[in-house]
Amino acid sequence: MTWWCSATGQTWTWAWRPYPGVWLFVACLAAGYWALAWRGTGRAPGFGVAGLLLVWVLLDWPIGALGAGYLVSVHAVQFLLLAFVVPPLLYAGVSAERWGWLEERIGRGRALLVITHPVVAGAGFNAIVVTTHLPSVVDGLMARQFGAFAVDFAWLLGGLLFWWPVLAPFPARAGGALAKIGYLFVGSLVHTALGMWLLLSRFPVYGIFELAPPLGGRSAVVDQGIAGGLMELIGGLIIITSIAVVFFQWVRREEAERLVHR
Amino acid sequence: MKMPKRRRLAIAAAVTVLICGGCGKERDLSPSGYAGAELPQPKPKPAFVLTSMHGGSFDFRRETDGFLTLLFFGYTNCPDVCPVQMSNLAAALDRLPSDLSRRVRVVFVTTDPARDTPARLRQWLGAFAPSFVGLTGTPEQLTRAQLDAGLPPAVQASIGDSATARDYTVGHAAQIIAYTPDNLERVHYPSGTRQQDWAHDIPLLLQRDRQ
Repeated sequence: MTWWCSATGQTWTWAWRPYPGVWLFVACLAAGYWALAWRGTGRAPGFGVAGLLLVWVLLDWPIGALGAGYLVSVHAVQFLLLAFVVPPLLYAGVSAERWGWLEERIGRGRALLVITHPVVAGAGFNAIVVTTHLPSVVDGLMARQFGAFAVDFAWLLGGLLFWWPVLAPFPARAGGALAKIGYLFVGSLVHTALGMWLLLSRFPVYGIFELAPPLGGRSAVVDQGIAGGLMELIGGLIIITSIAVVFFQWVRREEAERLVHR
Repeated sequence: MKMPKRRRLAIAAAVTVLICGGCGKERDLSPSGYAGAELPQPKPKPAFVLTSMHGGSFDFRRETDGFLTLLFFGYTNCPDVCPVQMSNLAAALDRLPSDLSRRVRVVFVTTDPARDTPARLRQWLGAFAPSFVGLTGTPEQLTRAQLDAGLPPAVQASIGDSATARDYTVGHAAQIIAYTPDNLERVHYPSGTRQQDWAHDIPLLLQRDRQ
């Protein structure tokens, strides 16, 4: 039984394959999300459900299998969406009522204060990003089901960590919108550099994708260039959009406060 | 509780070593410095005559004399090893200076003469590099060529129950054999050879020129 998508070296076919480990993981994630963010609110959180569905689509066949062992460009899309799109969707699905409930239970814990500090969260996320893109780590882990699971899980966990200081309402910290904008900008530098590295490398950097049975009619270097380009383009677009949202929310809030004080 | 400075430095050093160690895997090189598998003793280049994909006969020894010759036995319907080997070799040659790459001959000998017609060989190899040479022949000639090259002859295997006369795979040797310009077989490149390995080795192999 194949539980999780990993690099197999087998020729790609479009015949559907089941990955029960992915279903189990998504079910556990949905149950945990329901318990923390949804229970008692009486309505399904649209963004949250979209986030959970996206996790499923990204990890299951065919995207999960293609990204695990055939196309580094698909692997890059998985990374971008799991780390930069899914966490904001999951956070956006949490109602104000549930954020309050969560704050009561975990909001004053010292561990949460430490790990969600922007310096710790940013450094932790970027350490995960760098480590999970090292050729020896990718070639070593993606060929094993548990290793591939560890990479996927690390991206999701790292993304949740990275976005907490921007999107979670607690713990309250000084700095406001400008600090968040600075955090997002600095936090995006590492993956931008990684994208550039993939884009400009003369040779394929990952053995599993270079030596995989060919698919899609393009060479490993071209596919790697596409991966780097996607990391620059999609990653940059997500960060710029996020910065713009934080900025305009701040402007609107300032404007509202000024009207109140007039 | 604050961690002692010495311990923090030790942890930082360990993390740096781990990360940098993972950045570039050390390549295992042969005694002469090749990334490929070097033969303990060089062997002479075999002499066989087959049919070129452009028509006419191709005397392997004569036509490749003085070139770095990379010989591979495979088939164009191969789903994995053959296209990856050819693709990586073509990509590595493409990145070499032209004064080096024009001293290299890549020769692909089919192990599936029934399906690999000269036209099919031209089309398939042309997708990798127009300079690649494709050869075919009778089954007996091809078996002889593989034995002369020191390889076990390829064998056909049917696919599942629905196999038809044209629905089969071919088990064949996966390595590329490198003959240096002095016409000696020196290094083998197994399946899994990467473009960086070729880029490292081809200039070295070309240095083995005739005295």
